[in-house]
Amino acid sequence: MGMDKKEKKQSSQRPAFFMVLQKSSLNFLAMAPLLLGVIGLVGLFQVLVSPEMLASLFQGNPFLDTLIGTFSGAAAAGNPIVSYLIGGELLDQGISLYAVTAFLLSWVTLGFIQLPAEVTVFGGKFTFYRNILAFLFTMIIAALTALTMQVLS
Amino acid sequence: MKKENKAFAFRGKYLLLVVVALYGGLFFVNAPGAQLALQKSGSILLKIVPIFAFVIFFTTLLNFFLRPKKIIAHLGKDSGIKGWGWALTGGVLSHGPMYAWYPLIEDLRAHGMRDGLITVFFASRTIKIPLLPMMVDYFGLTFTIVLSFYILVGAVLQGILLELGER
Repeated sequence: MGMDKKEKKQSSQRPAFFMVLQKSSLNFLAMAPLLLGVIGLVGLFQVLVSPEMLASLFQGNPFLDTLIGTFSGAAAAGNPIVSYLIGGELLDQGISLYAVTAFLLSWVTLGFIQLPAEVTVFGGKFTFYRNILAFLFTMIIAALTALTMQVLS
Repeated sequence: MKKENKAFAFRGKYLLLVVVALYGGLFFVNAPGAQLALQKSGSILLKIVPIFAFVIFFTTLLNFFLRPKKIIAHLGKDSGIKGWGWALTGGVLSHGPMYAWYPLIEDLRAHGMRDGLITVFFASRTIKIPLLPMMVDYFGLTFTIVLSFYILVGAVLQGILLELGER
């Protein structure tokens, strides 16, 4: 009983809001070089790798294109709107829905550029498992979506 | 769990140094390209500053109002279906690039958030609510619904598999 009261008293004692804000800000500030590094890489990538270069990688083979879509989406960086624009163009060029869906998915969930930051923040084991799963599920979801669309149409 | 009072230290210094060196190298080879890359990085930074501010503020609110026990109850080992629901909702609602959310998720993890739920959060981020109208316009309503459904199911499966793999 005595312990319960003590615990309740401790849990009801909140630190001052300003102190918590200061601590959160400092934690964020500590991560600033990491985030600036990733943002710098994204800027470099956007200049050195154009959407046209990504689109030119696709070959017309559904399986191979799904793999290429996954890898190129993971390598790409930027606003997802860009992935919709490229994806729409790829569909117009006759690239399979499997590949385009994989490309759209991996654009957001996979990212080679942010891997160093993810490893630093969450550790190598978690990052490895998460990215392997994201890669596999990108392929699976792309295949299921394309198959479902075929059935529905 | 991490210690509460750890000494302040910058993280990712070497990554930043490598990126600065890459920019330096590019300036020698292709100065206009390096300048453009720097401009693009600057505009990305400006765009995600509000998200960073939101992350700092939200982390503060969580730490101020929610005791670690509460966080564990919602996102910890015994959070059950509620935990999956929170992670899915958070992932779908979160805006901006994935790395902008690292500080908040790291903080929640330090307070007991399960790795499976972190995976669900990141996997469900593929659904971007503000961009759904554009997706419908480009790929059709049926495609958008089918894809969103598989993303949500796939996100939960990834979370479950990650936890199985980590055991």
